[in-house]
Amino acid sequence: MILAFALAVAVLFGSGAYLLLQRDLLRVVGGIALISQAAAVTLIAASLTRGQAPIAPDPSRPVSDPVPQALVLTALVIGLATLALLLALVHRVVVVFRTTRREALTAEETERAHALEPEQQRDRDEAT
Amino acid sequence: MLREVARLVWGPSLVVAADLIVKGYNEVGDGFAAGVVVVLATALTYVALGASGAERALPFLRHAPKLAVGGLLLALVAGFFPLLLGEPPFSHRPGPGAHVATVGSLELFTPVLFDVGVFLLVVGVLTVMLHHLADPDSEAGTPLDEPHDAGERA
Amino acid sequence: MTSLSVALLVPWVAGAVLVPLDGRRRWVAWLAVAALAGTLAALVVLTVRVVASGPQQLVTGGWPAGIGIVLRADALGVTFALVSVVVLIAATANEAILGPRARTFPALLVLLAAGLTGLFLTGDVFNFYVFFEIAMTASYALTAYGGEARQLRAALVFAGVNLLGSFIFLMSVAGLYHVTGALAMADVADRMSAVGANAGLLIAVGFFVAFSVKLGLFPFHYWLPTVYAGSRPAVAAVLSGAVANIGGYGLLRFGAGVFSDQLRLASTALVVLGATSIIYGGVLAASRGDTAEMLAYSAIGQVGYVLVALGVGGAVGLAAAVLYSVVNALNKALLFLAAGLRGRLLAGAFVLGALSVAGVPPALGYIGKLELFRTAVVAGSAALVVLLLAGSALSLVYMFQTYQRNFWRDDGSGKTSSPVANRLVVAALALLVLAVGLWPEPLLALSQHAVEALSGRQG
Repeated sequence: MILAFALAVAVLFGSGAYLLLQRDLLRVVGGIALISQAAAVTLIAASLTRGQAPIAPDPSRPVSDPVPQALVLTALVIGLATLALLLALVHRVVVVFRTTRREALTAEETERAHALEPEQQRDRDEAT
Repeated sequence: MLREVARLVWGPSLVVAADLIVKGYNEVGDGFAAGVVVVLATALTYVALGASGAERALPFLRHAPKLAVGGLLLALVAGFFPLLLGEPPFSHRPGPGAHVATVGSLELFTPVLFDVGVFLLVVGVLTVMLHHLADPDSEAGTPLDEPHDAGERA
Repeated sequence: MTSLSVALLVPWVAGAVLVPLDGRRRWVAWLAVAALAGTLAALVVLTVRVVASGPQQLVTGGWPAGIGIVLRADALGVTFALVSVVVLIAATANEAILGPRARTFPALLVLLAAGLTGLFLTGDVFNFYVFFEIAMTASYALTAYGGEARQLRAALVFAGVNLLGSFIFLMSVAGLYHVTGALAMADVADRMSAVGANAGLLIAVGFFVAFSVKLGLFPFHYWLPTVYAGSRPAVAAVLSGAVANIGGYGLLRFGAGVFSDQLRLASTALVVLGATSIIYGGVLAASRGDTAEMLAYSAIGQVGYVLVALGVGGAVGLAAAVLYSVVNALNKALLFLAAGLRGRLLAGAFVLGALSVAGVPPALGYIGKLELFRTAVVAGSAALVVLLLAGSALSLVYMFQTYQRNFWRDDGSGKTSSPVANRLVVAALALLVLAVGLWPEPLLALSQHAVEALSGRQG
């Protein structure tokens, strides 16, 4: 049972990490979403208990632990909020740059660096 | 076909949401889940009818920001009003063990107000997001003076 | 009990009220400043009460401590909360005078204050996580303030890196609950001693990584220059002076409070990492041309001192860590705000900030460096003393390099001075740094109390 959970977390985290390194910003956001879901599944897996519901339980039988369920619920809500914020940021990037490619964000600085290239080459040539 | 489904699904989603809030004290469910259910139906409406069409069909969507703020303030009041009575925050009235008026299986006590507040907050916030994604230029939002030059050259 | 609840409630209500208002109007921004001032007042009352009668605690719902969420105000939390709110007030006032450019800006700052006060004034691990996320979400949105390409890039990098840090933090919290079965910090600290060494170390490392990412310690610092240099000066001041405090507070609270055994075990590693941060930050800061980038690398260097003090440990080391966190927050806020403006008075403010970073009297940084030297002497390590001297020398170099470049030369381009009110706000912050530097006793006493609260069952 734990093995199944561990495999699920591994697959989620691996896919999320792969997506994080993509060029399209939407895929990067998708990767972050998968990673936060991996955290939620780990939380559930780490605190699986079987037993009765903890409201007026029969003291002779085991009771399941309600705290991790509250933790996971909160983590999911927080994940939702941060995902919404990230999507809003990417949306703003799309509105400003008209593209979702990651390079768009650094385009201006790369251009400036390129523009300086001939001068830097001239300095190097002078020195040698 | 999508429009029909969107129109038909919205009412029942409210009922499901109410059910989630009511049964949330004994079984699985709470204000957040209720809010998300309603927002799912609203999202379908936005997709099917577009931003302006959705707001014509369900006029209260225009007031989503006020819903969100109202929900947050309601939740804060429900949480912090015990301070006025000298008790720590988030104590519920009637207190544990005291008699509570019930309507069916729903007990009428202050955490219900908190859950309703959370429900309104979730509906409001996510509806604002949906509106903004559906129709980005309609309201002021965060104004940008003009599109960045790189965007025009690209 | 009431002042604790009020300190938590005021920013929430104010934030809720400010959200639907149009933040671009001056009166809304000043309303935010008023709300933050109200929070500061509540915090000051709370501090007085904490210093007089020990930590204030209340449990939500009146339930017993292990069942309800424990809200606890002790000297450590209150110190950090005070510093963060002061920085937030300075930054908000700065932008309120210039006129905010985004309608959500004042509301975001107040909600950030709500998240930060909740974080510093809680005694429950998961509640800490929740307020941590609230504060971080507000700061992700704040980083994008200004809307230009640099800010968007800074916001995305900041959000991406810190979300990964939050993920690690959540896993560590889950591990902590699994291993100790409790969420209240006091119970967790008690039960940690019974936990197996491997599990404890792994969880402690998880927490350390999460907080190092927040602070920008080497080797988790790669995001810092992009974010601090790309965001607007007021936001950079908030990020380095208020949000980075989460990392410092977390390291102290969790490192010295909960994981004290693991901290002792790893002290050499921590000192080495801190030293690397100091040298790396200092050397790179000296090589930067842009003021904001220089300040970002300086920030990396300065937080290295906190880690070194934490690594040395003991009452002296921990007190020095608390003190230096406060000093660093105020310095960075002052420097980032001053670097973003121009005009008379600003050169003086910048000089004061520079002297403070380098540790020269009468600025506050001198007291911070003095405490660090005391720590090094107590640890009996000549290498540490040399390191501190080298770090201070580097700080002097890069600070005055920048001062020369920005303020000394009369570039004659006739750029307009910033409004007088802005300069007065920065001057007020500089005066605060000077005043506390000349009269450090309250701050020193507060640090001592904070350390006692940590190690102590002071009551």
